[in-house]
Formats: sequence, C-alpha cells, structure tokens
Amino acid sequence: MSTAAGGADAAGGRRARASRGARALVTGFLRRSWFVLLILLVWWLVTAAGWVDPYKLPSPGDVLGTLGTLLTERALLVDLGATLLRLVEGWAIGVVAGVLLGILTGGSRVLEDGIRPVIAGLQAVPTIAFLPLAILWFGFNGTAVLAITAFGTFKPMALATYGAMHQISPTLLMAGRALGARGLFLQRTLVFPAIVPSLVTGLKMGWSFAWRALMAAEIVVTGAAGLGGVLELGREIGAIDVVMAVILVILVVGIATEQLVFARLERWVNRRWGLVGAR
Amino acid sequence: MRERAGSRNGDHDRAAPAIRVNGACKTYEGSDRPALLPTSFTVGRGEFVSLVGPSGCGKSTLLGMIAGLLRPDAGCVEALGRPVDGPGEGRAMVFQDAALFPWLTVLGNVEYGLRAHGVGRAERRERALEAVRLVHLDHVMDRRPHELSGGMRQRASIARALVMRPDILLMDEPFSALDAQTRTILSDELQRIWLETRPTVVFVTHNLIEAAFLSDTVHLLSSGPGRIVRTYDVDIPRPRDEADPALLDLRHDMLERLRAEVDDAAARRAQVAEVVDL
Repeated sequence: MSTAAGGADAAGGRRARASRGARALVTGFLRRSWFVLLILLVWWLVTAAGWVDPYKLPSPGDVLGTLGTLLTERALLVDLGATLLRLVEGWAIGVVAGVLLGILTGGSRVLEDGIRPVIAGLQAVPTIAFLPLAILWFGFNGTAVLAITAFGTFKPMALATYGAMHQISPTLLMAGRALGARGLFLQRTLVFPAIVPSLVTGLKMGWSFAWRALMAAEIVVTGAAGLGGVLELGREIGAIDVVMAVILVILVVGIATEQLVFARLERWVNRRWGLVGAR
Repeated sequence: MRERAGSRNGDHDRAAPAIRVNGACKTYEGSDRPALLPTSFTVGRGEFVSLVGPSGCGKSTLLGMIAGLLRPDAGCVEALGRPVDGPGEGRAMVFQDAALFPWLTVLGNVEYGLRAHGVGRAERRERALEAVRLVHLDHVMDRRPHELSGGMRQRASIARALVMRPDILLMDEPFSALDAQTRTILSDELQRIWLETRPTVVFVTHNLIEAAFLSDTVHLLSSGPGRIVRTYDVDIPRPRDEADPALLDLRHDMLERLRAEVDDAAARRAQVAEVVDL
C-alpha cells in the first residue's frame, strides 16, 4: 500500500519535473521569439485582410510555398551553392591576404607607417564602389564578384591583425626571444598563435563584410549562378515572393554560420587559450 | 662533462667569468634621472648572485642588460667572455609573471626553446621530460598554463629556462607574484635545483631574506638614482634553512645599510617598507 503510494509519488514527481522542464523550454522559446511571432502575425493579418496589394507584399504562406518550390526544383540550391562557394573562396583569400599583410606590416615600423593609413583609408570606401573597377579588370563575370568579396574581407582582416599585433604581451615576446626564437620561426610559433584569439573576432567581421560585398556584387553581375542573381531576376519579373524567399535563405545561412561555425570556433579558442574565465 | 645548449659554438673563453659588467649605466628616454649609475661587478662561473633593492633601484635594468634585452648607454656587459649584443647564447631567463605561452601545454612550453634551436623531436621530448621532472610537474605536463596555479606556472617557466642547459640563468623577481607559502616552497626548490644543476644565476628580487637565503653574493642596490650600495658574501653552507639566525642577522644588516644610504626620510621609509616583507 505504502509502496504503491510511494511509487505513485515518485512517478508524479518525475511528471512534475518533466513538465517543469518542458515549461521552461516553452517560456525560453517565447521570450526570445515573441517579437518574430508578432511580426509574422501582423504580416499574415495584413495580407489576409487584403489591405495591401499581393504584388507588394505576399502572405507568409505564399513566401514559404515559393521557398519550398524553389528548393525542390533544385535551381535555388545550385544558386545557393554557387554563392556559398564564392563566399568561402573570397573570404578565405581575403583572410589569408589580410593576415599576412597585417603580420608583415605590424612587425615593421616603416611598413606600418606607410601602409596602415592606406588600408584604413580604403576601409572608408564601401567595397562595392570598387565593383566597376573589378568588372573592367576581370570582366562581367564571377571573377569580378570573387575579387570584390575577397577585397571586402581583406580590409577589416588586415586592420584586425594590426590591432592584434599591438596587443601581444611584450613579456611574451621577450620570453620568446630570450629562448632563441627569431625571424620566421618567431612569427610562426609566437606572433601568430598570440594573435589568434583576436583574429577570430576579425574572421567574424570579415565574414559579414564578405557577405555584404558579395550580395551587392551578385545583384549587379548577374551572368553567373548565385543568390544575388535570383534576387535581381525576381525583381525583373516582379516575383516578390521569390525575392522574399531568397532573403529568408540569406537570413538562415547567416544565423547558421554564426551559431554553427563562429560561435563554436570562438568557444574552442577561448578554452584552448585559457580565456574562458577572462571573458 | 655536462653538455650545454650554448656551448655548441664552443668558442667561449673558459677562463673568463660568467658575467662581467663594466661601468654600465642607463637613463631611460624621457627621464631626467639615471635609472642606473655606472655600475661594475663580476659573477664567477656557477655562482648564485642576487641583485636586491626597492623598485627603481635599477636591478631589473641591470638584468635586462645582461639578458641582452636592453643596451647600456655606456660601459659594457660581457657574458662568458663575449660582449652581450642580444639575447641567447647560453643565457636563459625567467620572468616575474612566468610569461608562459598560453596556447601550449607545459611540455610544449618547455620544448619551445629547443624547437627554436632546431633540436630534433626525440631529443627535445627527452630533455623536456627531464626538465619537467626536475621541477616536479610531470603530473600536469599536458595541461595548459591557465589550468595551473601561480606556483606551478613559475615552476614551468623555470623548467623552460633550464631545459636549455644554460650557463647563465637570469631570474627577474620570479617569486614576487606568489603568496608567501608558495614562495618559500619555491625558494627551497630553487636551492635544490641549483645544487643539482649548478648554473650561474643572477636573481633579481626585492625580498632581502630570499636574496640572502639563495645567494653566494648579494648586491644591495638603492634607488634615486640606482646604484650598488654594498656587496655581501653569504658564507652559510648549503642546504640552508630560511629560519637560520645568520640569515636574519644578514637581513638586519642590509636593512640598516639601506636606511643609512637614503638621506631623505620619506624616501627612506618608502624604500625600506618595500624590502621588509616576509
């Protein structure tokens, strides 16, 4: 009797705990997404009531439907793949070039005094302003877009690297030199690892600059496959549901790379470099 | 005979003292007062010498010159019979804040100098393990610096220097960031390690007892401007005990000397307060 009651109590406790956990999950979700849900609701209401022309603003359902169609027809996947490939390539080129130039000039007073103001000046010019130049040099094609993406990454990356170079602890450098490290060995085994935590921040920034430059360039240079081209096509034929579906895709890719790639990378570096407590 | 990393060139003068400082002085840019007046002293091979005094007495400046990290304005510094014109060449350094590389493990840190000198992987590992054992860190050799206590970090830093088998070990206030108990333990350890490996040591500290306990010779420095005011030979046989009354007497003498050296009462209070720590 008493055991049965005890068992029932325990089961009740488990159920209570489980429902508490589920409730916490739901409230957590609501707290973070109530505004998004509100927007979706207003969007749906406005379109369902017929207050706006569907050619200006399609309903959320239409956009999702179009997105589904675009994805199942695979055409959008090809464009997404082309864009991502270009993004990664351009970003990687920009990162390598920016870090190399940053380290090179950060290590020499003469180089730095001459080159840093130029990079800082270029950073004041929106990357897309160089697109006509890139088209004249590389042609009206994917190469021009890639060059713009790489350039858009390169500038913030070089500046982030300079900044990081100046934050290296002088004692650490002295310790390295006193142990006999010099030249390329010093750069490779001390300077570079010492700036890695700051570089991760630079990588993130470079990625967002690459995205911007890439989208802007793809919208203009529409010859090759790419999401920008789809956006522009959508505008030409007045398919606003396509335009909005592509924007959704871009949004999801942005959030996914931030959460899945950069947040993890940052956590890993912070743990490995012992910055967990410091941040 | 023990092989030393710095001896590969093999051409230093065996008869020369480990270190000869001759009239070295330094005034830092933007300062109207010399950090160090012309100073001369020599350190014999295998000798343990301390430079002790309050901050601003030029002790770290002197050490930096011997390390080759600073240049004297005038005078010269010789190590192993050759003029010092940069770091390295048989000299290894231990810094106040350990200055370990945070991205490397303890073992990685200890191996670093050997890598810089192009020592092969197997020998590197073997020598690093030996050094890590010497400072009793074998149980944490795969940890990273942030996972270690302050005392362990400083042990790792000592191992990183010793693995180079330096003729000269330069230590810049290595224990001053540690709590009193850890500091006492590490002083004892350093005595043991020195007795086992016998490098020449120049040890900078503001702790009079620590200096007396560890050294063959103590150079007492005073600030404003920095200079050596007195040199003490410590003839107490090793292994020593920090509670040895002879050490306490010596500390008392050094304090008196420092008091007499500084005329200005306020400056004297400040300087003496700094070196009176237990």
